[in-house]
Amino acid sequence: MTAYLVTILILASISAIVALGLNIQWGVAGLVNFGVVGFYSVGAYATAIVALGGGGAWGGLLAGVLASAVLSALIALLTVRLTDDYLAIVALGLAEVVRLVLLNEAWLTGGPLGISGIPRPFAGLVTEANYPVLLLGMILLALAATLLFAEALVRSPFGRALRAVRDDDTVAAALGKDALSLRIKAFAAGGAIIGLAGALHAFYITYIDPSQFTSIVTAYAFMAVIAGGRGSNIGLIIGAGSIMALLEATRFLKDFIPFLDGTKLAALRLAMIGAGIVLLLIFRPQGAMAEPRLSARASRPEAELKPDRLSERKVLPHAS
Amino acid sequence: MIAQLILNGLVTGAIVALPALALTLTFAILKFPNFAIGAMLTMGAYCGWMLNALFGLSLPAATALAAGAMAIVAVAVDKLVFTHLRDREGLTLLVASMGVAFVLENVCRFAFGNDARNLDIAVARPIRWHGLRVNHEQVITGGAVVACLLVLFVIVRFTPLGRAMRAVADNPSLAAARGIERNVVVAVAWCLVGILCALAGTLIALDRAIDPLMGWNYQINVFAAAILGGLGSLFGAVIGALVIGVVEELSTLVIPTNYRQAIAFAMIVILLLLRPQGLFGKVAIRK
Repeated sequence: MTAYLVTILILASISAIVALGLNIQWGVAGLVNFGVVGFYSVGAYATAIVALGGGGAWGGLLAGVLASAVLSALIALLTVRLTDDYLAIVALGLAEVVRLVLLNEAWLTGGPLGISGIPRPFAGLVTEANYPVLLLGMILLALAATLLFAEALVRSPFGRALRAVRDDDTVAAALGKDALSLRIKAFAAGGAIIGLAGALHAFYITYIDPSQFTSIVTAYAFMAVIAGGRGSNIGLIIGAGSIMALLEATRFLKDFIPFLDGTKLAALRLAMIGAGIVLLLIFRPQGAMAEPRLSARASRPEAELKPDRLSERKVLPHAS
Repeated sequence: MIAQLILNGLVTGAIVALPALALTLTFAILKFPNFAIGAMLTMGAYCGWMLNALFGLSLPAATALAAGAMAIVAVAVDKLVFTHLRDREGLTLLVASMGVAFVLENVCRFAFGNDARNLDIAVARPIRWHGLRVNHEQVITGGAVVACLLVLFVIVRFTPLGRAMRAVADNPSLAAARGIERNVVVAVAWCLVGILCALAGTLIALDRAIDPLMGWNYQINVFAAAILGGLGSLFGAVIGALVIGVVEELSTLVIPTNYRQAIAFAMIVILLLLRPQGLFGKVAIRK
């Protein structure tokens, strides 16, 4: 039972870190990243490859974070000519390409078989059986550090500038903010955090293959960010935690409903996440907790309830 | 050899043209990219397969019924989801459409599992024509797509409904001021989306097996086609789809076939860097 609880806590914490990363990109900066799983797998694979290639666990961790951050910055750079709407499809496409590379470049990634025997940090300190508890401690520390970083970022001048760019980039540009550079920084910072989560995934499982990295990672992250409230980090942790608990609970459905097999259960979970995303967007777009704001707007409740209206704009080519 | 590849590319491109049209149509009228397009394709294919392989209907009948069913699904999705989000920003709708995609795809997976399914059709010998090998499926696909494009063209170009659709796409408030019922136009557009997706899904199923990820695998190509054509331009979407189909086939001459799916992504990236408005789109205006 303890082992099961540790597993759940580890998985929930890793999901929460992914969601914190997405929250910087989407929640704060308004950049929709449908390719979360791509960056997550890049983080995990870079960690595994460098760790096994002589970099050790810590070298691997650093490589995972950096690889995901650099890739994120490059992708965000593509929006130099057009707006964020296109970023969604580019990120989705990138995740597909990453999947193709993982499957086909066997010399680097092990192909469909993946990579096993990934070294873990501090592995010599405790026995193999007790290691998950130590790892949970480290992951919780990483989660706390990420949370502090994200909170500091949201409340910093940089965070305010990001929100300004998100809500109206023309006004932000008129006030001297470099929208492109802000977007790239935000996307890279979020990407680094998602890469960190990927690295932790590699340390926990110690064996990675492409089948572990499916769109459910992306779905989880979006659900957690929406449930917690876009831009609110504390709300998001609560959101990620409750989703994990809810989804874990569906595991027990198998005992009551005999015709549910693994595939049906997985399908049911993903459908529930999809429905959850839609319902929350319709009925509670502000999430569990609203975004912290310093502006006078906070005193006008009607503006807070419909934050989306503020940023409505037409940015794409029109119909001909 | 090259002529054969171009022919194959044109046929696969023709199939992609249908969902690309659906994508560009909703974009023109509702101003958001519908990420559920791939899942709608999958569901359309399953509808066609169910009617054909399980209930024994002929392929044309199964396709027609599937198209009707998907039209209802698409309108229902709009009524249940997108109407409530109509006055929100584009990004909210985009994320919601991804949520819809998860639901539709997994309804199919829940009902039919991950196994690949095949339509109940007779396998026929390919036709030889001037050294080209033409499958019966390719003939059916070509004919069906051309017929579908003609009908769509007539609807959009010459009927009052088409005029209303173009008016709403151009300027919703002006269209409303002229007494055009936006809700009707939107519902009709979703009907067309459902029909196009069901048709494309069944046509893909003619050529390969149906599985829950089938539409997902076409998603990038559909977006690439629509973006290449200039998102919002119906004519452009068709040309974009054909270009991408041909380029993808020809690319197998120089890059490993495993990376075929990466071609559409590469084309999106190149386009965004060089000509973000696409081939036939107008220059974007930032407001």
